Amino acid sequence: MNAEIYSPLFISLKVALGATLAIIPPGMAAAYLLARRDFFGKSLLETLLSLPLVLPPTAVGYLLLRMLGSRGILGRETLGFDPDILLTWKGALIAGGTMAFPLLVRTAKVAFSDVDSRLENMARTLGMNRFEVFARITLPLAGRGLLAAIVLAFSRALGEFGATVIVAGNIPGKTQTLALAIYNHIQVGREAEATRLLLITVFIAFILVWCVELLTRRAHSNRQAEDESRPS
Amino acid sequence: MTPPPYFDVDIQVEVDRFTVEVAFQTTAAFTGLFGPSGAGKTTMLESLAGLRPSARGRAALGGRVLFDSDQGVGVPVHERGIGYVAQADLLFPHLTVLGNVLAGKRRAARKGRDAIDPDRALQVLELTEMRHRRVTTLSGGERQRVALARALCSGPDVLFLDEPLGSLDLPLRRRILPYLLRVRREFGMPMLFVSHDATEVQALCDHLIVLEKGKKIAEGRPGNVLTDPRIFPVAEHLDFENLLRGQVERQDKETAQIVLNTEGEADLRLTAVAKRLQEGQPVMIGVRAEDIILATVRPEGLSARNILPGTIQSIRVGSNDSTVALSLAREMPDILVRLAIPTVHALGLEAGQSVFLVMKARACHVLSEPMS
Repeated sequence: MNAEIYSPLFISLKVALGATLAIIPPGMAAAYLLARRDFFGKSLLETLLSLPLVLPPTAVGYLLLRMLGSRGILGRETLGFDPDILLTWKGALIAGGTMAFPLLVRTAKVAFSDVDSRLENMARTLGMNRFEVFARITLPLAGRGLLAAIVLAFSRALGEFGATVIVAGNIPGKTQTLALAIYNHIQVGREAEATRLLLITVFIAFILVWCVELLTRRAHSNRQAEDESRPS
Repeated sequence: MTPPPYFDVDIQVEVDRFTVEVAFQTTAAFTGLFGPSGAGKTTMLESLAGLRPSARGRAALGGRVLFDSDQGVGVPVHERGIGYVAQADLLFPHLTVLGNVLAGKRRAARKGRDAIDPDRALQVLELTEMRHRRVTTLSGGERQRVALARALCSGPDVLFLDEPLGSLDLPLRRRILPYLLRVRREFGMPMLFVSHDATEVQALCDHLIVLEKGKKIAEGRPGNVLTDPRIFPVAEHLDFENLLRGQVERQDKETAQIVLNTEGEADLRLTAVAKRLQEGQPVMIGVRAEDIILATVRPEGLSARNILPGTIQSIRVGSNDSTVALSLAREMPDILVRLAIPTVHALGLEAGQSVFLVMKARACHVLSEPMS
């Protein structure tokens, strides 16, 4: 009974957390580049990065399956060893990370863009190199927006269903996340269990969205205070 | 042997409307860039600071080459040693006053004992009391002083001030200007100062470069350049204020007696409304061009306290009024007086004529460092 609740919850949290942590470094770097630099093929890259947002999750799952399959570009024959990803929690992690990645990049990009680049230039004239400017000016000023981006990405990974079921399957105790477990319970008519899991997901989702709400609101009011104090 | 120039600049930058193309060399450590909005002043500063990568040409400050596009030399922004105060103060909103002031402390630390002590800078700019406040709670004038302190404390070799008072209203500008004078004297750091305010550049700069539409149209001592009939149209739409230098001879109850600096040529004194000045203190007296009356004979029985003899150098008749340039003494910059066009004709004024300048004590504004 308890295992039926805690196992999917634990797997979901583990997969979503792992997926979020894995996509933060490349996601933040991509967001910063898109917000601050102009380069050839930028709009193409931006469109590619956003694709998982608009494609059906099952299509993304199938694409991942092809790539990770034994003859795929990330498969056993290409790599020369078996990465053992399909039908494991690692597959769920990759599926969740892929689906959450565009959300992270797009939200973080807005957070970076909101930082007045003149402040960064000013910091450079004060003797800070680019790394110091990023760490001491850009990051703290974009901080709330970036946190919101991370929470959103985590939420997306937590609720992932379509891509996950294709890449990782629906194996109880191994790859069965909350979303998959609810589906399973409904399929076999176990309404009480489905309802219990539903309440848990509502609770988690509520907390996460509330966090984002608070973070973005504070970031906004900070900016307003700053604008108001500025002489016109 | 002439000393090497401090500013040695020859740069070209494409901007939207035109090309800014300016070359100048000067030994003056306090140099001003003057001109109307859109003349290319800020573009010049940004190019020298390295914030405009498209700039071409060559620039050396104090003998150190900052960039030379022919040689492929370009010192990175953070190594140029320029303390920049922009027109918008651009304080870091997530830091306190002290946090902002210490933002450049690493470079200052590398400079060692020559660096300006932040406590001293806060004190000079009267920010010590508010050092723990968030900058979002400060007034416009306070923010500009913090921006100035931040630049000073970053261990710069030279200060770039881009209309540091530009976003403030006139009374506030006149209250902050004394702080800039104090910074100039206290820290003696070379300065490139951008402004379209004639009073500010006269007060702060020893050398002035006038820009219009991206080109240099004149340069020289501010008092001489600004009163040049060819240059004056640039400043015409502004309230022109003459700036005379002198020393306090005596402080009375409501007024002070000022001896003007004439290099011993003439003995000229002014009475100005002022309080709490100290004997011997150097001051500047601002008198607006329209606050001066001209008389062809020495007036008597007048309530105005100041009557100075002068010689008309030139008369320029503009579309609305006329501008008369007068000299009081050979070593002093000319004084500009603005008169109605019919007045010039009625009095029969002409160049070379000796006249008297009449000024009320109340029209003479004393400009000195903040009195504490």
